[in-house]
Amino acid sequence: MSAKLRVGILSFAHLHADGYINNLRMNPLVEFIGFSDDDSARGVEVAHKYGARYFSSHEALIEDRPDAVVVCSENSRHLPLVVMAAHAGIHILCEKPLATTVEDARTMVDICQRAGVVLMTAFPMRFNAPAIEVKRALTDGRVGQIIACTATNQGECPYYHRSWFVDPLLAGGGAMADHIVHAADLLRWYLGSEVTRVYAQSNHILYAREAPEVETGGLVSLDFANGVFATIDCSWSKPPYYPTWGGLMMDVIGGAGVVNLNAFKQMLTVYTASTGRPRWDFWGSDADQWMINEFIAAIIEQRNPTVTGIDGLKAVEIVAAAYRSVASGQPEYVAAG
Amino acid sequence: MRIGIVGTGFMGRTHAAAWKNTPATLVGVHTLDPVGKEAFIGDFGSQAFDSLDELIDQVDVVDICTPTYLHMGHVITAARAGKHIICEKPIARTLEQGREMIRICREAGVRLLIAHVVRFFPEYARAKEIVENGDIGQVAVIRLSRCGFKPAANVPDSWFHDPEKSGGMMLDLMIHDFDYARWVSGEVDSVFARSAAGINADAPLDHGFAILRHRNGAITHIEGSWAYPPPLFRTALEIAGSKGLIEHPAGSSNAVEMHLSVKDGVVPSTGLPRSPLILDPYTLEMQHFYRVLTEGVTPRVTAEDGLAALAIALAASESARTGSVIQLGGSH
Repeated sequence: MSAKLRVGILSFAHLHADGYINNLRMNPLVEFIGFSDDDSARGVEVAHKYGARYFSSHEALIEDRPDAVVVCSENSRHLPLVVMAAHAGIHILCEKPLATTVEDARTMVDICQRAGVVLMTAFPMRFNAPAIEVKRALTDGRVGQIIACTATNQGECPYYHRSWFVDPLLAGGGAMADHIVHAADLLRWYLGSEVTRVYAQSNHILYAREAPEVETGGLVSLDFANGVFATIDCSWSKPPYYPTWGGLMMDVIGGAGVVNLNAFKQMLTVYTASTGRPRWDFWGSDADQWMINEFIAAIIEQRNPTVTGIDGLKAVEIVAAAYRSVASGQPEYVAAG
Repeated sequence: MRIGIVGTGFMGRTHAAAWKNTPATLVGVHTLDPVGKEAFIGDFGSQAFDSLDELIDQVDVVDICTPTYLHMGHVITAARAGKHIICEKPIARTLEQGREMIRICREAGVRLLIAHVVRFFPEYARAKEIVENGDIGQVAVIRLSRCGFKPAANVPDSWFHDPEKSGGMMLDLMIHDFDYARWVSGEVDSVFARSAAGINADAPLDHGFAILRHRNGAITHIEGSWAYPPPLFRTALEIAGSKGLIEHPAGSSNAVEMHLSVKDGVVPSTGLPRSPLILDPYTLEMQHFYRVLTEGVTPRVTAEDGLAALAIALAASESARTGSVIQLGGSH
């Protein structure tokens, strides 16, 4: 066995970074070298909490010559970090959404391609065990030809975890920027087809105080090239006192039957005096772990990961079309190429 | 109060059973279906009338449970005879028919009540009440789902399967939730919809959805299906507001689920999971209509509500066919 892959995390802006530290440490092929963060107070705190090395600048982490990085900055700040890493020949797993504009996403894909580094988009739903079970049922034809899909990726407003999620410049928008991509990517994976046309309606009634500048409710319709139509409810419609953060559900309607997926149903209901209300505690398989494992395996085996930067780009194109539809009030085509 | 039912299909029989739980008297029934007639009289008593006029002559209220495309003719006949009318949903096959029915009933001075029974399902009525109380603040996103199988799938020439007669799945099934969404969150400005039948009129199974924008800013997702395998039939309700959330996921009200063991190699028919009620929604509906007609109670659902729901359903059908967003005018 050769030396372990040296992996770092660029930025702790995204709350998923917490989990990724553990996931990286759990992978026997990885040496976790530490993380960088613009916020030095947060950096010191995280370093202490996880016993991890804190690099006071992203450049400093890059100069430590990691083999790979996980980019967890604010959505609009993925691009400079991905470019920096790609130029240094470092493989990249980037948080979703890949970017806040189609142009940024395409630039990231192109630069990584030219640099010959892996660019993987963090779409953990592809590694969610119930979601994989559905993919198998669809692939072996048990459900028949697919007619339509109804998906929801609803959640609480992430404002209370990180305030930048409701900043239109940093997040690229609100609930639509945050919650369309997971379900959209799952649909593309299930259907093996691309979205041609998008219609979306949004509003700003939920969490109006916490998120004054971005949409908090959204309903999106997608037409796929293969004739299947689907909807995604991306609303931040779970209140902060809901038993869990939210969830992802999908109904797939086929000619020979229907599949109902509740990707996070593997929960214990816990009643505790400390919260004063029921809490759902997830006990299913950790999709993030298998996503990290796939990233590492793709680098070692010198192949493309099962989820790529292109997948991230396609999802960003769908989000962009949804915003155009909200602005025009009409269905919008996902621009080609 | 004497009731006459027109039509002995599933709804005619359901209404007959419901009327039995009211002080009203079921006097008779009119149908062109000899088999349905015999079964109806066998199960509910009363008298069969071969002529609609004879039945109307003997009653105070005519309860019209005929196929959608026949509503207008039956309603106008009853109205001209000066009888109050209860009519199954949708009010009519077209807006022109619906408007004509309302006009003629108004001229004749008779009530026209549309049987939008979902307003009488306790979980739906309770959710509306919670919204009215302000418990969840301003309504933002509504999700309503009604998924089952195609009605009368084994009847080759059933009127359900002819969109000219039934209006298809959106008019027959999704109209329940179009009405409910409007009841909860008010008038609808725009409709966008997709459906299997909208894309291909010959699609063997129909499934569809509509996204509504309400005048008050709320948005609603309505899903309807005639593509679920029998005997599955599931409804779901979710209303998210600025101060709270109401959830009623599919299957969550199955208060009784039966699992029977195989006997002598015969698998028992499982039967649908049930949510038993002492008074079923149809009984609650007819008891309410009884009080509307005898005590002057304000009706929970009016003919105008029925017409507005039809307007949304027709807009959704058109959108599903054309792929365009349909704007709804203020008045129907």
